[in-house]
Amino acid sequence: MSITEPLRHTVPNRVIPVLGVLALALVWLLDLGTIQPNRIVPGTGHGLLSALGWTGAGLVTGVLLATTVLSMVPVRRRYELLLGLIGLSLATMPLLLDVFAALHLPEGSPYARSSVGAGFWSLLFLLSLMLIETLGRLSARRWLQLMLLVFVGGSWLVFLRGEGLESLSLVREFNARPDKFQQALWTHLALALGAVAISAGLAFALALKMIRSPAWQRPLLGAVSFLQTIPSLAVFGLLIAPLSALSSALPFLQDLGIRGIGWAPALLALIAYSLLPMVRNTFVAITEVPESLADAARGMGMNEHQVFFQLKLPLALPVIIEGVRITTIQAIGLTAVAALIGAGGFGGFIFQGLGQAAMDLVLLGALPTIALALLADALLTMLAASLKPTPATA
Amino acid sequence: MRVWLPATLLASLLLALSAGMPVLEPLFNWVQPGKQQVIYERESFLFLLQNHLMLVVVSAAVGTLVAVAGGIFVTRPFGRDFLPLVGQVASIGQTFPPVAVLALAVPVLGFGEAPILLALVLYGLLPILRNTLAGLEGIDPSVREAALGMGMSPVLVLVRVELPLAGRVILAGIRTSVTINIATAAIGSTIGARTLGDPVIAGLVNGNTAYVLQGAILIGLLALTTDSLFEALERSWDRRLQSVGV
Repeated sequence: MSITEPLRHTVPNRVIPVLGVLALALVWLLDLGTIQPNRIVPGTGHGLLSALGWTGAGLVTGVLLATTVLSMVPVRRRYELLLGLIGLSLATMPLLLDVFAALHLPEGSPYARSSVGAGFWSLLFLLSLMLIETLGRLSARRWLQLMLLVFVGGSWLVFLRGEGLESLSLVREFNARPDKFQQALWTHLALALGAVAISAGLAFALALKMIRSPAWQRPLLGAVSFLQTIPSLAVFGLLIAPLSALSSALPFLQDLGIRGIGWAPALLALIAYSLLPMVRNTFVAITEVPESLADAARGMGMNEHQVFFQLKLPLALPVIIEGVRITTIQAIGLTAVAALIGAGGFGGFIFQGLGQAAMDLVLLGALPTIALALLADALLTMLAASLKPTPATA
Repeated sequence: MRVWLPATLLASLLLALSAGMPVLEPLFNWVQPGKQQVIYERESFLFLLQNHLMLVVVSAAVGTLVAVAGGIFVTRPFGRDFLPLVGQVASIGQTFPPVAVLALAVPVLGFGEAPILLALVLYGLLPILRNTLAGLEGIDPSVREAALGMGMSPVLVLVRVELPLAGRVILAGIRTSVTINIATAAIGSTIGARTLGDPVIAGLVNGNTAYVLQGAILIGLLALTTDSLFEALERSWDRRLQSVGV
């Protein structure tokens, strides 16, 4: 598997050409975008050539051909070149929509909107795959990957906020409710991160209990994995009746906003779901620290308290963070489902959009949810990697 | 046979409740007083259960076929170039929330069963693919060499040695995938699939807690039944391995 440094530049890559040819086919076959006279009327699709004209279509085709050829010829530093080319293409992709809107949007019709077509999505997807492949071949460092992510993401944000894309239906939906979007963002983050934080504390206590008294291990792990087996919709549904009974019995709970629907059942369910990955990882991480290391520390005169906080916990931390990563991603997704019981967050846009058959509203909820999950994944993976103990070099 | 007992009991309870929910009417009247109707009757529970199961089984079958075939392809000499990318995609894809995948399928395919099936297949494929790769890559290379040295053809090595050895890990992947898909199919009710999520959604819309409870109980039971079925399957697999002495 290991290809030595000089060889890496001469072996032709077989993956990028496949992706490149596929991208070329899809981008020419599918609609790049659609123009709608208003929100309700179905739009007319435009293929690559019709959408961008000869210059734009030629540019897209040229870039895809260039990546394909470049990945096959033995040029020095071609993966670095490919990284630059693919990264730049990804960052400037919104420009295609900009040109598309400028060419096709009818003058003086304030309700007309442009939307993104399957061809654009395919191009985005395949370019991202090429980027992942190139980064893998370069065995790129994490900070380089993060910088690239920031560069591409930042460029998209700048384009989306610019004037050229005001007609884009996604931007229209956003501009119609900027306050609601911000509120959804905060609700979503507060619910997901709140659940993760609370369950992290709970899980730590449970894991310590399991380590001290091994008789608790089986029942506790059994209970938390039972909770995770029940589908989210069922858990949300099952919590409604007891919580509304509780809040009508105890009026002060109503003042706190605890009712059968809303944030309270959502938070409870999210915590229940987060317990399994958290408890399992914390428990495994702490128990897997070799006893010989603990003995050595005791031999150096550390007491049990110091052994735990100065030796076991730091060594266990990367695995615990891995548990936090799994939990956070899961909680971000489940918070979207919690919108069904009125908890708010981005799921609200998704289900509202599905109800009104307004696909761009669905996107306005789904895309930020995915972005949040990917961001949490990237940040926590980096955190776990940076906490890994580096072997001492003598 | 004792390993199959929990699964059988849960399955009988699930079927009995699906068929005989009206018997519990007094109970639901107590839970949800002041409603004329407390038993969900727009569709029979048995039909919803059957439809829900059909979605999950079809997506698991297609997902398993595609994922195992893909896993085999990228671990053979001619497909090995694709291994890093496929491995990365399998793990990055799993960070996408299932609801978002479900929602994104609607603009592409419209409402109904088709987008749900696509989303379930695509999303359910990832854990199976990941476990297939882990299972096949986890086999000690000397085992493969020994089998080849005995004169077995590469295809025979794959079918008689590698797949049986990786099977237990692949089965665990299918279990994860099915667990996720039962939950996602329930949410599929919001985009027009007829599943056990229907009573929950209808109950939430009409403020009828009894409907919500009926749907939630049946979804929960379905998940528990399936999970204990996989548990039994894994146990009997382990027992067979022990009796062969691996």
